[in-house]
This record gives sequence, structure tokens and C-alpha cells, in this order.
Amino acid sequence: MEKDYALHNYLNGTATQEEIEQLKADSEYASYIKIAKTIQGFDTPDFDEEAAFNAISEKLKQKPKVKKLNPWATVLKIAAVFAVLFAGYLYIDSLGTTISTSVAEKQNFSLPDGSEVALNTNSTIEYNKNKWDNNRELKLNGEAYFKVTKGNTFTVQTKNGAVTVLGTQFNVFARDKKLQVNCYEGLVSVAFNDTLIKLSAGKSLQIKNGNIVTEHQSIAEAPSWINNESSFENATLETVLNELKRQYPITIDASEDLKNKRFSGSFTHNDLDLALQLICDPLNLTYTIEKDQVTIYATKNK
Amino acid sequence: MDKNTTICNENTFNKVYKEHGKAIWRFIYFKCGNEAQAEDLVQDAFIKLWKNCAKVPVEKAKSFLYTITNNAFLNEVAHKKVVLKHAKHQPDKVEHQSPQFLLEEKQYHDKLQNAIANLTEAQRTAFLLNRIEGKKYKEIAEVLDISVKAVEKRMSLALKSLREEIGDI
Repeated sequence: MEKDYALHNYLNGTATQEEIEQLKADSEYASYIKIAKTIQGFDTPDFDEEAAFNAISEKLKQKPKVKKLNPWATVLKIAAVFAVLFAGYLYIDSLGTTISTSVAEKQNFSLPDGSEVALNTNSTIEYNKNKWDNNRELKLNGEAYFKVTKGNTFTVQTKNGAVTVLGTQFNVFARDKKLQVNCYEGLVSVAFNDTLIKLSAGKSLQIKNGNIVTEHQSIAEAPSWINNESSFENATLETVLNELKRQYPITIDASEDLKNKRFSGSFTHNDLDLALQLICDPLNLTYTIEKDQVTIYATKNK
Repeated sequence: MDKNTTICNENTFNKVYKEHGKAIWRFIYFKCGNEAQAEDLVQDAFIKLWKNCAKVPVEKAKSFLYTITNNAFLNEVAHKKVVLKHAKHQPDKVEHQSPQFLLEEKQYHDKLQNAIANLTEAQRTAFLLNRIEGKKYKEIAEVLDISVKAVEKRMSLALKSLREEIGDI
């Protein structure tokens, strides 16, 4: 222990002469001292201080080079903005054209191929202008009358089924769960669920709540609403009043038991008072008009 | 050096390099025995020091450098044998030597060389820092971030295994 202490003192350079003599007397410690002394005379290979420093300076100088801004970076950023805008434009463009009418408003317009569309009140048509040449397809919610020029198949998509034609005149009524198609010229095919029904000129088809309800002849040459008149054949009063509400900006108050009364006839779109008279008189009903509020009730017998 | 100066000043940085560059190179050479690797590690350490110059006060530069090189060394895998060379002059051996003595001495040196290379990295670094660099135990403890007691132990073990390998001469 004592010798170890002395040995560490020797290695640390703090040993006294006495301690060194003591260590040298012991053969084990003598060889330690010899080893220690010999190694003291050893050296490492040379380290080229200057070369290493130059290398360090070189590496430190290189750094800013890496940081140099790419002159194209700004251009690329601007280009990226335009790319996004262009992509947005393409996307919006592909969404298609929408034409809609509100209550008491009708609109006539032409499609890109020259087909004519008359859009009844409170209806919406959506189609893609760019794809029209290859794909004559539009979506309808509401009622519209089409005069289709000859060409590829022309498809009207509705919630309740698709109407496909080649070139003809027809009317489509698609509201809520009801789909009614009247063919005035040519041939119309109606795809409903899995069935495909062909309608020749003068025939009409009605689908209500998922069932084909009626199929009968219609005599007129064009739907009456085109001429600002709505006509009905054995329709419920509810149906008639709903149409009335679309043609005039009014609210109607009528008791429930009246709504199942049947009505055959027509009313005009230009004169509310006359229209109400035409509906109410045959059914023995009375009405009052207060601003936009119409009330209908059964006429009291005298 | 003024305590408030930062290493970011080029003159200060040069001074720090002059002061510690070589010692750190030797320190890392004792560990890995690869000159080129040691130089790379020294360069990397000083580059890191420059990049962090604002955060490292001058008086902390030394321990920063040792820590950086030591960590970097631990991350490197390839170790070579430490090869030392004989000193140019040994002060207490001025007298003429017989050829027989010189040969024996040469053999002894070679054996010792081998033995040193076979020491564990921890023992060798501590031992050579003391013997070749002439560092006191306290200094070695600071550089290696261990206690003085641990340095003592490493020294004793190093001497013991060196002696065992070369045998008593």
C-alpha cells in the first residue's frame, strides 16, 4: 500500500528521493519505474498542426457557399403559386355550369349544341360546358322542357331516374320523389331502377315514390307551362297548390281534408286572383288573399 | 485570456487552437491509434467549436473540445493499434552504449510498444496522458471526466499488465 502510494507520487512527479529509492529496492516496483521512465521517452507520430488548421479554415469558409440562395427559388415559388391557381381554375371549370330559377321565375336557354331548354320555376339544371360535345348529360332538379337537336344520346339525370333520348321534345318533372316524363316528339327512354321504359310521341310516364303510377296519352303539343299555364288531370289539390306556390311567391293555408280533392283543369301564371278562381270554383271552395298569404276553405252552404 | 471575449473572434479562435489543438490530437491518438482519424476528429471538434462559439465561453473551450472529440471517438468504430515512436533524445542516457545494450534496449522498446497497444483504451489513454503528455492525475481526471481515484486505478492496472506482458527485465 505504502509502495503504491509512493508509485503514484512518482508518476505524478511528487515523489521524494527517499520514496524513489524505496521503490527501486523492490523488483516489482523497479520494473514499473523502468516501464514508466521508458514510455516517458516515447512520442506520438507528428501532428501537422498547421495543415490541420488550414483544413479547418477551409471547411469553415465552405459553409456560406452552401447557404447561397438558389436564384431559381423565387421563380419556382411564383410558378408554384400560379400552378395552384391554374389547378383551382381547372377544378372550378370542371364543376360545370349551373342554371337555376326561383319561385315565379322561368328561364329559356340554349345548350352548347343548340338544344333548347325551358326551365320552369324553382328548378336547377347543372351541366358541364367543356365536356358537352362528347357527353350530353345534365342534372335536373325541378321541371324542364327540352327540345333536343339530333346527335349523341342526351341524358337528363334526376334523383329518381335517368331520361335518355337522341333528339326529340320532351318535358321532365322531377321534384321530391316524383318523376314525370312527357314525350312530345320522337322517342324517349326512361331508365328507372332496373327497368327501361320507352315512350313514343304523345305518351307520358309518371313515377311516384318508386312506383310507376301512370302511363297515358297526352294530347298537347308542348307542356302547358311553356304558355304560362299549368294544367292538371285528376290531380290532387295538394299537387295543384304546390305548383301554384312555385308560380306565385305566396304561402297557402288550406286544411288537410281539402288536399285530397281531385282537380282537372288549368290555371294561369300571370294572374293570381284568376288562377285561384279557376282552382277554387270547380271544387266549391272559397279563398282570401292577404298580401302573400292565401287561405282556402270550403264554401259554406247557404 | 479575457473572460468576456468570445471564441467568435478569429484571433481568439487561433489562440485556442494553438493552445489545445495538438494536445487534443494526441489525446485522441492515444485512444484510437489512427493518425488520420485523429486529425479528422480534431478538425470536426474545432469546426463545431466555431459554430457554437457564441455559446461556449473561452474558459470552457478546452473541456468542450475534449468532450466533443471523446464523444465523436466513441461513435467511430474502427480502432487501430497505437504506434509510438522512440523519442529523439533521452536526457539521462548520454554515455556511449554497447551494441549489445542497444539491441536489448530496442527489443525492450518493441515489447513495450506492443504491450501498450494491447492495453484497454481507458487504461492506455490515462497512462499515456500521464507518461507522454506529463499530465498530473488531477488534469487527467478532468479531461476524461472521471475521479482522481479512478485515474490511480487505471495507472496501476496499466503498469501491472505492461509488466506482465513484457516480463521482468
